[in-house]
Amino acid sequence: MKIKLMLLAVTLASFSGVASGFDLGKFLEDRLDKELNRDKKTQSAPASGTQPAEAQAAAAPPPAKQKIDARQLGFALFGDYSIEEENRIGRQISGNLLGAVPLVRDDGLQRYVNLVGNWVALQSGRKDVSWHFGVLDSEAINAFAAPGGYIFVTKGLYRMLDNEAELAGVLGHEIAHVTKKHHLKVLKQSSLIGELGKVASSKAQGSDPMVQNLIGNGAEIMARGLDKNAEFEADRVGLVFAARAGYEPWGLPTVLQDMAGLPAKDERTSLLYKTHPHPADRLATLGDAVDGRLDGVQGKELANRFYRIR
Amino acid sequence: MMKTVLIPVAAMLLGVTAASAWGAPGTVLRNEKLYAQPSSRAAVAATVAKGASVDILSRQGGWLRVSSGRSTGWIRLLSVRSGSGGAGGAGLGDVVGAATTRSDPSRVVAVAGLRGLNDEELKQAKFNADELARLDTWRATPAQAQGFASQSGLVAVSVPDLPEPRSEQASSPWENN
Repeated sequence: MKIKLMLLAVTLASFSGVASGFDLGKFLEDRLDKELNRDKKTQSAPASGTQPAEAQAAAAPPPAKQKIDARQLGFALFGDYSIEEENRIGRQISGNLLGAVPLVRDDGLQRYVNLVGNWVALQSGRKDVSWHFGVLDSEAINAFAAPGGYIFVTKGLYRMLDNEAELAGVLGHEIAHVTKKHHLKVLKQSSLIGELGKVASSKAQGSDPMVQNLIGNGAEIMARGLDKNAEFEADRVGLVFAARAGYEPWGLPTVLQDMAGLPAKDERTSLLYKTHPHPADRLATLGDAVDGRLDGVQGKELANRFYRIR
Repeated sequence: MMKTVLIPVAAMLLGVTAASAWGAPGTVLRNEKLYAQPSSRAAVAATVAKGASVDILSRQGGWLRVSSGRSTGWIRLLSVRSGSGGAGGAGLGDVVGAATTRSDPSRVVAVAGLRGLNDEELKQAKFNADELARLDTWRATPAQAQGFASQSGLVAVSVPDLPEPRSEQASSPWENN
């Protein structure tokens, strides 16, 4: 127990001061504070500050005999939704998104994207997810991921692609959002902890009111976007997923180049640029991570097999 | 049968389109070298500074052939951005950034033109169980995906994770757990 608390203190210290957008440090601090003081009022969690993590951990009061439900605390700190909960959340978000924009009626296209997507997702290491991929009937240039493995690409973005490696790169970015649980982290930060756990898993075909409560109105979570560092991370991780799938690694960067070359006021990119850093920033950040590390990586472009839409 | 003829033709046409897109303006994103060949082991032909303008002539894998002033050479794909919006650089005063702020009146009109994918319509969106069921019908199993990959000779390869860039570490909560 002592080790566990020390770990928590270190975790907390390493979190504090880094929470730029979400005030995550404050959130965790309050949460830990609450847990620590449930039985004992005199102890308080280490304050955030500029001290190094080790110093804070060392300065933390010795854990006397608090009763901490480790699972609950783990959930508070890391938002470990069960896979069932994750699926329910993803399903609700996706059902709403599809209420705003329908799927392209092209079985060949949709099937192709599912085959490529699943192959890339096989390299992600997440085996508990059953992946769904869909092309949305919209000329907007964008792509979306929801928890539970729901991935969407717009027809407008798909049209920009020239080969399967580029599709793999785009899908890899979205798959990375799912494996890194970026949206679940946002939900955890903005919602009542444990809300979902209180009710039995819903088997209903329709809308899930409990989950809807968690995600806000409609599919607005898709219009809010993520922290820019989550996007940079998804670029980094997604590019590697595509490369591991045997594609040349330059698919995603090439798509970002094409986006960067679009006119600044192109209406098709309005939502994309509201929710993502500019492609120039994404290229620059990805370039810092890649440098010469992929010089030896070969791969296929597969332009011939790429499914073209009109 | 029609399809088998159409696909290569379409591929050719699109290939031409893509090629003609190059020769386009670009901006260098970091101080870099221009190599004589698309390889970091090739001779260095010139150096270019962050923010310099280049003409992008062609692409080969992770390399772009560019000309800058009187020099021509190969530069890493990720060291250049295409387009004429400048180096961008962490969202500072970029042309595109300015065009996409909420206060830009032209943007409101523009977004309304794209049905579905805007703030208001996403917020109002109603759950569509039929579309979700349709999505289910196209699902692929891992075995199907595996078979599809090997049809084109795709083989899973080992590629190490990329490191988080140092400049980012201070502000990213994402890697900590």
